[in-house]
Amino acid sequence: MLATDLAALLPRLRRFARSITFHREDADDLVQVAMERALGRSEQFTEGTRLDSWMFRIVKNAWIDEVRSRVRRGQVFAPEEEGEQVGDDSAEAHQQRLAVQKAMSLLSEEHRLVVGLVLVDGLSYKDAAEALEIPIGTLTSRLARARDALQKLLSDEARTMT
Amino acid sequence: MNLSDETLMAYADGELDEAQRSAVERAMREDPQVAAAVERHRALRAKVFGAYSGVLDEPVPERLRPKAAAQAPGVVSLDAVREARRQAAAATATASAPRRPAWLQWGAIAASLVVGVLAGSAWLGGGQQAWVSADANGRLVAGDALASALSDQLASAQAQGPVRIGTSFASKDGGYCRSFQLQDSAGLACREGDSWRIPVFKEGGAANTEYRQASGMPAAVLEAIDERIEGTALDAQGERAARERGWAR
Repeated sequence: MLATDLAALLPRLRRFARSITFHREDADDLVQVAMERALGRSEQFTEGTRLDSWMFRIVKNAWIDEVRSRVRRGQVFAPEEEGEQVGDDSAEAHQQRLAVQKAMSLLSEEHRLVVGLVLVDGLSYKDAAEALEIPIGTLTSRLARARDALQKLLSDEARTMT
Repeated sequence: MNLSDETLMAYADGELDEAQRSAVERAMREDPQVAAAVERHRALRAKVFGAYSGVLDEPVPERLRPKAAAQAPGVVSLDAVREARRQAAAATATASAPRRPAWLQWGAIAASLVVGVLAGSAWLGGGQQAWVSADANGRLVAGDALASALSDQLASAQAQGPVRIGTSFASKDGGYCRSFQLQDSAGLACREGDSWRIPVFKEGGAANTEYRQASGMPAAVLEAIDERIEGTALDAQGERAARERGWAR
């Protein structure tokens, strides 16, 4: 049962992971680790609560662990060189996508997580706060700051391109 | 009135209640700067969302699939789902919680709208959760799990969950409606305030499948769509945009 429900979340988990890791392989590795953790401790999931919030929380924690261990190992995070062209993506849409992904990669870890949950996945503030294990007021102010930072990065980017 | 930027952001994210929403909308009409600020928040949201939405259409690498689900394609896991549902139904029946008066009124209120018999499976999602329930006025509304599927899922990026989204469209009464399939059943849900009202719900069952249209939607649902639709159905982009706005128009 849980495995089936988790499988149904995979596309969203991969998308969220892509937004916080800005790297395709890292993102899928992260989702795999999170899936294993979730299935290994399925008894910790409370029936009647939202599986997606629980799962996003596991992804978030797995990513924080990964970030810490990479920092310890002195590894650098490098965004992928080029985002791959998807489907009938027009050149303009492609450019815009790259600009957003680049701006995301320059955000702080904290900011990237809120943006990934609220703007990329579309979770409500309440559910996002639950996934991040922070009060909703903290989420709101963090999201506002993250948006300011993104907005600024994107307008800087637009300026350098013209 | 002075509205904080956080309030305008929450408005753009569809997080405000009705009173706050109308305050923001009034401010937007009176002050172009407020309107521009809201537009900035919306545009950023759409831009960021759009930058990652393509991931949903990518095939999921096999290594990510939980082993149990990978080994149990369609039929087996569906049986397991049905079995769990039967047990849950039995458990509820023995518990026999007192029914609310609203249940008794449906026949009168919704007879022309609800086609088929509403009992058993449709009411029971995973465990104690109801897929569909009655609001204070005895009208059908989506329960939490169905409501979140209706709010979040895109027909263009169909999830493998129990709910499949059919057509999404703008309705003549100024809102959005979406048709859906839930296990054997199907229905139409229309956004009203913060909930999804269900004007039509048709419980299926394997025996009914041959009467279904090619779309997989029963005729009653298709008729209900025809009655309400304004213009044409939303395309993938329109669907995403509507979701962005929290299905509010």
